[in-house]
Amino acid sequence: MQRLSLCGLLLIGLMFGPQSVSAQTLTGETIWQGQVEVREAVRVERGAILRILPGSVVTFHAVGLEVAGTLEARDAVLTGLNWPGLVLKGCDEKTALDGVTVSGAKLGIQVVGGAPRLRNCLLRDNEVGLELRQKSDAQVQDCRFVQNAKVGLFIKDGTTAAVNGNRFEKNDRYAVYIYRASPAQFSENELTANGTAVIVAYAGSDPQLRGNRIYGNRTGIRVERAARPSIIDNDIHDNETGIDLDRRADPLIEANRLDHNKRGVAIAYSSYPQLHGNDFSGNDVAVYLEYQSAQWEKQRGQQARDAETPTRSAFAGQNAAPVSAPAPVRLDGRIDASGNFWGGAATAELATLGADGNPTFIDDGRDRPTFDEGGATWPLDIVIYAPWSSTPQTVGRKQL
Amino acid sequence: MKLRMFDIKLSLLATLCGGVLTFLLAGCPAGHSGISGTLLFDNRPLAGASVEIYLRAGKDRSTLPFATAATDDQGRYRFELPAGQYYIIGKLRQTLDDGRIRMLMAECPTNPVEVSVGIQVLPPFSLREMGRDGALVPLPGTGVEGRLTSGGAAVAGAYVYVYTEAASGLMGPSYGEAVKTLADGRFRIELPAGRFYLAARKRDAGGRMGGLAVGDLNGTWADNPINVTAGQMIVLGDFPLQAVDAAVRAEKLASGTFEATGTGFFGRVVNQDQRPIAGIYVFAYLDSRMVGKPTYISAPTVDDGRFKLFLGSGGTYYIGARSTFGGPLEPGEWVGTWDGQADHGVAIVDGSSQSLGDIIVREVW
Repeated sequence: MQRLSLCGLLLIGLMFGPQSVSAQTLTGETIWQGQVEVREAVRVERGAILRILPGSVVTFHAVGLEVAGTLEARDAVLTGLNWPGLVLKGCDEKTALDGVTVSGAKLGIQVVGGAPRLRNCLLRDNEVGLELRQKSDAQVQDCRFVQNAKVGLFIKDGTTAAVNGNRFEKNDRYAVYIYRASPAQFSENELTANGTAVIVAYAGSDPQLRGNRIYGNRTGIRVERAARPSIIDNDIHDNETGIDLDRRADPLIEANRLDHNKRGVAIAYSSYPQLHGNDFSGNDVAVYLEYQSAQWEKQRGQQARDAETPTRSAFAGQNAAPVSAPAPVRLDGRIDASGNFWGGAATAELATLGADGNPTFIDDGRDRPTFDEGGATWPLDIVIYAPWSSTPQTVGRKQL
Repeated sequence: MKLRMFDIKLSLLATLCGGVLTFLLAGCPAGHSGISGTLLFDNRPLAGASVEIYLRAGKDRSTLPFATAATDDQGRYRFELPAGQYYIIGKLRQTLDDGRIRMLMAECPTNPVEVSVGIQVLPPFSLREMGRDGALVPLPGTGVEGRLTSGGAAVAGAYVYVYTEAASGLMGPSYGEAVKTLADGRFRIELPAGRFYLAARKRDAGGRMGGLAVGDLNGTWADNPINVTAGQMIVLGDFPLQAVDAAVRAEKLASGTFEATGTGFFGRVVNQDQRPIAGIYVFAYLDSRMVGKPTYISAPTVDDGRFKLFLGSGGTYYIGARSTFGGPLEPGEWVGTWDGQADHGVAIVDGSSQSLGDIIVREVW
C-alpha cells in the first residue's frame, strides 16, 4: 500500500494548477486546496489529518474518501458523478465539516460510529444525502438536504445523534428516515416539498420529534410498523396528510399545530396513538380512519404481521424487519382523541352536536361503519373527540 | 466430581431423545450426509452432553435448535443432516456434590459447518464452565494483562479476544471472552486456569464484531497458547497489532470466497424495469432455506449489472442477490432471488459455466 504524507507535495502542486491525488492512504497532515481531482480511493489513516481549505473543489472520479483519522473541511465542495461518497469511520468531534457541499454521490456522507460535527453543510443531488449509523453520536446542525433521490438523512442502527436546525426540501421519497434509532434530538428543523418529510419505522424507533416545521409535503410525518415516537410541539400544515399512522403505530401526538392539511391525522391498521392537546384547524378532515378495526386486530392482527415477517432468510420475506409490537392497551373499537382543539368552526359545530354526534371533521366508523378485508367485513373504529378544548392550546408558544 | 442420579436420568433421557431424533433424521431424504465428532471437558471425553444444531449464528439464534442429540459414553455424537450450513453447540448442565449448578458450554470452533456429501468428522472441542452471563468463570487473581500497540503507540478502544480453541483460526464469534482496551491501550482479563489463545482487533468503526476492513488493526499473540495457572496473573507486555493492508486483503479475497474457478454461474442483475443495478452481490446456498452465510458470493455487479459467481464444485445451488451481506434487511436495500424455479434452486455440472439470465431485485422499504 502506498503511504505518503502529501502535505508539502500538494502545496507545491498548488502553484502549477489542479492537484491530482492518487495516493491511496494519507498519513500525517495533508492539505487540499483549490481544484483537486481524485482518481483513486483515498483513506485518511487513524491519527492522520486531512484539511480541505475554503474555496476548494474536490472532484471524485468514481472513487470515494474514507476517513479513519480527522477531517477538517470548511466552505468546500466535494462532488463527482455517481461517486461512492465520503465515509467517516469512528471519527471523533475533531472531525468537523462546516459549509461543505457534497453532491452527486450514491451516499453523500456515511457516518459510522463516532461523533463528528456537521454544520451549514449542503447535501444535494445524492441518492442518499447523509447516513448516520452504528450508534453514532454525530451533531448535524443548520445543514440543508436538497433533492436527494432516496433519502435526505438516514438515521439508523442505534444512532443517538443530535439533528437540529436543518432544512430539508425537495427530497423525492423521504427527507428523513429514522430506522431502529432514537436520535437524542430532532428539533427546530424545517421540512418542505418532500415526498414524505419524516418516516419513523420499526420497533426500536422511539425518538422525540419536537418543535419542527413541516409543511407542503405529500406526507408530513409517517409512523409505521411498531415505531413509537413522541411528536410534540410541531407545526404541521399544508401537507396532503399531516401525520400518517400505519401498522401498529402508537405514537404520542401532543401539543402540535395541525392545520390546512387535507387529512390532519390518518390512522390505519391497528394504530392507537395518544392524541391529546393538539390544535386542529382548517384541515379538510382532522382525523381519518381506514382499515382500522379493533375486531380485526383481535382476530387477524398478529397473524397478518407474522405473515409478512421474513422468516429466517433475507430472501423469504417482503419487509426489512419483522413487525413486533405489544398488543394495544385498549381494544374497544374507540380511539381516544379527547382534549384537542378542533378549530373555530368545529367548536361551533360541537356546541350543537354534543359528545355523541357525528362531526363533519372526523371521518370514521360513524361515516363508514364497515370495510372489507381478507374476504370478511369488519367494523371501522370510531374516534372519541369529547371532551374537547374550546380554545387553542398552542397559542403563545415559540413560533418557528 | 460425581453427578447426582437426577442428572444421569436427564442425560439418559437426552440420549434417548437424541437417538430417536438422529434415527428420524437418518430416515429423512437427506442422503448420507452429516457430521460426527467428540465433546471434551478437561481434555477427557464428555458423556451425556447435549449437542444442538442451529441454522443461524450467535445472537441471531432465537429459535429452537434444528436438531439435538446427546453424546455417548465416549463423548461422541453423530447427525445425519441435509446439505447446508449449520452451527453446532455443546452443552451440559450438572449438579455437583455440593449442590452447585455448573453449566458447561461451547460453540464448535469451526462454526459454521458446511455439510455436503458424506459424514464430515469435526475436530473434538472442549466445553468450558460458563458464568451466569455466559462468560468464562474467572479465578481470583488469575488471568493475563498487557497493552495493545500499533507502531509503538498504545491502541485504545480495541478488543482482546480469548479463545479456548485454535481451530477457528482465532476468528469469528467462538471466543470465550472479549475485553476493550483502556485509553492507554491496557487490558486485563481475568480467567480460569487453563490454556488460552489471544487475538486482538481494532475496527475503525468501533464495533466488537464483524469483518475487518482495510486499515483496521489485527493481531494474534505471538506465543499462543498461554497456559494460565490458578492465582497467576501473567504480564504479557506489549501486544503489537498490524493494519489490514489493501493488497493483502485483495489477495485473500481472490483466494477465498471470490476465487475464480472453472465452475460457475453468470448473468445480470436488473430491477423490475430491466435497468441494470450495480453493487449487488449474488449468493449461492447449498441449503434451500437460504439462511445464514452463503457458501459462495460473487463480486458486486458493476454498472452493466453483470455478475460471475464462481463455485467450488457442481451441484444444486439456491440463488439470491442482495446489495449487502450479513444482518437483516434494512430499508433501502436491494434484494431478489433467481426465480427460474420456485425454490430458487438450479443445478450445475462440475466444470461448466451456466447462464442464469436476469435476476430481478427490488428495493425494500
